[in-house]
This record gives sequence, C-alpha cells and structure tokens, in this order.
Amino acid sequence: MTKIVYVATDGSRTEVEARDGDSVMRTALANDVEGIVGECGGSMMCATCHVIVDEAWAEKVGPRSDGEEDLLDGAATEPRPTSRLSCQITVRPELDGLVVHLPEAQM
Amino acid sequence: MLGQLDFAPLDEAITIDALTLDPYPIYKRLRAEAPVLRVKSVGRTLLTKAADTKHVKDNPALFSSNDPKTPMQPAFRAHTLMRKDGPEHVSERMAMNASFMPKAIKEHWGPLYERLAEDYIGRLPRGETVDIFKALCGPIAARILAHILGIPEATDEEMQRWSQTLMDGAGNFGWRPEPFARTDVANDEMDRHFDAMVERHRAERGPSAFAIMLNAERPIPMSQIYSNIKIAIGGGINEPRDALATIIFGLLTETEQFEEVKRQGAWSAAFEEGVRWVAPIQASSRLVTEDTEIRGYRIPKGDTVMTIQASANHDEELFEHPERYDVFRAKNPHQAFGSGPHHCAGAHIARRTVGQIILPLLFERFPNMTLPDPDVVQWRGFGFRGPINLPVRLA
Ligand code: FES
Repeated sequence: MTKIVYVATDGSRTEVEARDGDSVMRTALANDVEGIVGECGGSMMCATCHVIVDEAWAEKVGPRSDGEEDLLDGAATEPRPTSRLSCQITVRPELDGLVVHLPEAQM
Repeated sequence: MLGQLDFAPLDEAITIDALTLDPYPIYKRLRAEAPVLRVKSVGRTLLTKAADTKHVKDNPALFSSNDPKTPMQPAFRAHTLMRKDGPEHVSERMAMNASFMPKAIKEHWGPLYERLAEDYIGRLPRGETVDIFKALCGPIAARILAHILGIPEATDEEMQRWSQTLMDGAGNFGWRPEPFARTDVANDEMDRHFDAMVERHRAERGPSAFAIMLNAERPIPMSQIYSNIKIAIGGGINEPRDALATIIFGLLTETEQFEEVKRQGAWSAAFEEGVRWVAPIQASSRLVTEDTEIRGYRIPKGDTVMTIQASANHDEELFEHPERYDVFRAKNPHQAFGSGPHHCAGAHIARRTVGQIILPLLFERFPNMTLPDPDVVQWRGFGFRGPINLPVRLA
C-alpha cells in the first residue's frame, strides 16, 4: 500500500492508501476525494483530473506523457509547471507519501 | 471456459416504438431482471447497469467503435472519427480539441456567447406563452456551434437542417435510399460552405475548430477536417438543445427546487442533474472484438453491445429516487457524456454555455416563468431523447 495525499484549495488534506498500479485519478475516485472528476475514465480526453504535483515530488513523479501537454494547456485551471493529469500517474512504491494539490476547477 | 457460459437471454417483446415513447419503465425492469439482454427488435445486446456501461466504454480494445460498415459512412461520405479507435481517432480528435476546452471558452468564446444568449433571450416576448424548444433551444444551440466550428455564416436553419439530416442518415439502419439522398444534398451544401471559408481561416488564424485544424503545424487531411466539422454539426446541436429543454422542464415542474436554484445560483448543478435525468444521448453501440463475458453471460466476438447510459444514470445502486429531477442530490456520477476515448468532446462547451451562460440569463430575464400544462409536453427518442415541444409562459 502506498500513501497519497490530496490537498484541496482550502488547504485541507485527505490521506488515502492507494493500490500500486492504480492511477492517482482512480485512487481519488475510489476514496471519494472531491475535486477530481476523471470523467473520461483515464483516456486523456477530458482534462477533469488535473492535479498540481507538490514541488518536492515533481522529479519522482516524472514528466508529462505524450499528449498530456495539449490537454492541460486548455484545462479549466491554468496549469503550473508541475501540473499533471492524475490519470497518467501510476501509483508505485517509490511514490509513498506523494502530495498532490487540487486545482480550483476541473470543468 | 467461455464455452460453458450461456448467451444472454433473448427478448422478443420490447419494441423500438415502446423504447422511443417511454423507455424508463422498461430499463427499470431490465436493471432488476435482465441487465444483459439481447433485444430482437434492436438487434443488439442491451446493457442497462452503470458498472457495465462504464466497463464497456473504458475498454475500447475489447469493445470497439471501429465499424466502417454503419450507415454513418454514406451519411457523412466518410469514415469519421466517431467510428474509429486508437491513434487515428486520437489524432483526428486532438486536431480540433483545443477550441472545445475550458481555456478557449474563457478566453475567446465566453463574451461572444453571452452576447448571443442576451440577443436570443432578449427577443422572446414577455407575457406570452411560447414553445421555447423551437423559439430558443434549437436556434441558440445552432448559433453557438456555428461560431465555435468556424462557420458563422451558416444560418440557424441551415445548421439545424444539416444536423438533423446527418443524424437521420446515420441512423438509417434500414438502408433506405431517401435519407442518403438528403444527406447527399446536405453534404454538397456543407462542402461548398466550407470551401468558401478556407482562405479566410488561413488568413485570420482564429480560435475556431476549422481554423485550428487548418493552421496546425501538421494538419490532418482536408477530407478529415471536413468530416470532423460534419460530425460536430451532426452531434453538437440536438444534445445541448435537448439538455436545455429538459432542464427547463425539470425546474418548472419542481418549483421548490426552482426557487432554491435561483436563490443559490445553482445553475451548474441544475445542468448536471438535467443531463443525468434524461441523457440527450441515451444509447451507444460497440462492436465486441474478442469473446468475453458480462455478468456471467457469454458475449461473443462480433456481437454488438449497446450501452444504455440513460439507464446507467438511473441505476438504483448509484442514485436514490432516480426517476426524479433532483438538483440537490449529494452525488451525481452520471455517464451522460460517456467515458473512455469517445468521451463527449463537447462536454466542456455544454457545461459552460448551457449551465453557466444560458440558464442564468434566461431565468434572470424570466424569473417567474411557468409551464402551464406539463402534460402537453411530449418526450421522444430511443437513441437521442428530449422534449419535442415545451410551451412555457414567459414572465
Ligand atoms: S480522466 Fe480524463 S484526462 Fe484524465
């Protein structure tokens, strides 16, 4: 089990135990974390799973995948340098303790 | 192992007419008794549970959209992205996606759409009873789409006629010649109209879908640019039109909620609940590429399954009193926009135009609108559904 921390815009933190292999988007949905919609189910079509990876974790999480850039660019909340689509981040042991921040809006 | 499983039961009683008039009681029974059912009149295996419709949409390798042999091909005179999968689908969709994203709506379209909405709503006669479905829902949906696609000179009438003609052709599973004769005429008209816009879009490089596709670094072929615009015309008018009419009906028949929505400005929630309650696109088809199973039934390769998102949105496992329009339900994980790679490309536009611009403006101008006789409102549609008339009193 790998711990993921979602930080809402008001600063409130939700810690959940994630299953390795799941995406950070699916983990949020499975744990009723508000602020992530993931409407396209992880197909990189909707940009409603935007998260801003905490600076401290940016390197470990890694760069955006092919095609992610374009979607993030048009997202409801202006992307920041560490913005990612959470459906494209796979939970794995070295991400234990990962902190991601939720954007103001997904839609 | 699959060999030991039974095929899904076969129904020979449900008719397309019954599904067109009032499908919801039928789906309620199917969810309880036969959530995987081969329906003879439809010629497909109907899936009515939310978990199953989502499973199918999220697994495009097993449940494919790729089917060049549907009436869509002659109707659009093209194998369109709606009926493709994989990288081809992604590249054609992404070619126009930027104009449909929240950023483009905020930066480019928002102010224009507010003006258009003010204009169209401003023309409605106060104190009279009008069929708002005809007077507003269709025309404004057509106007908004014409701009975003980059064909603003197409009239509301043309846009609506092209759209309906394309949809009738795409749904012509009886392969009768007349609907294709009509789509031929519409295709010629659209092609001429698009031809006349090309130079202007190359010069102006605006934010419309047409301009973005033309001016891309590595543009997709012109034939695909045209078929993309046609797909958006065919699939981009009746959904926002029907969603708007459905939401107006919902609010005017649930007067307590209507008051609360106005008080809170809860228009986005009113929108989400409207598309859950009566999903404008009720059903979609997918071709099965490998033998598989759903709920213990054998689903053979080559079968066509039909996901009924109308029913998924009423699944008792996810929604309390699903048959009721209830803006303030705690959670609303509806599938009105689908899921997976074919997730509705117009979802962001619909949410912002209908939910954040048109509804608030409409009810700011007519806060005391009423529906004098809800019983005269007729609902129609199996694949696509909404009211076909909506006589409201504007006050
Ligand atoms: S879930 Fe749709 S882009 Fe991530």
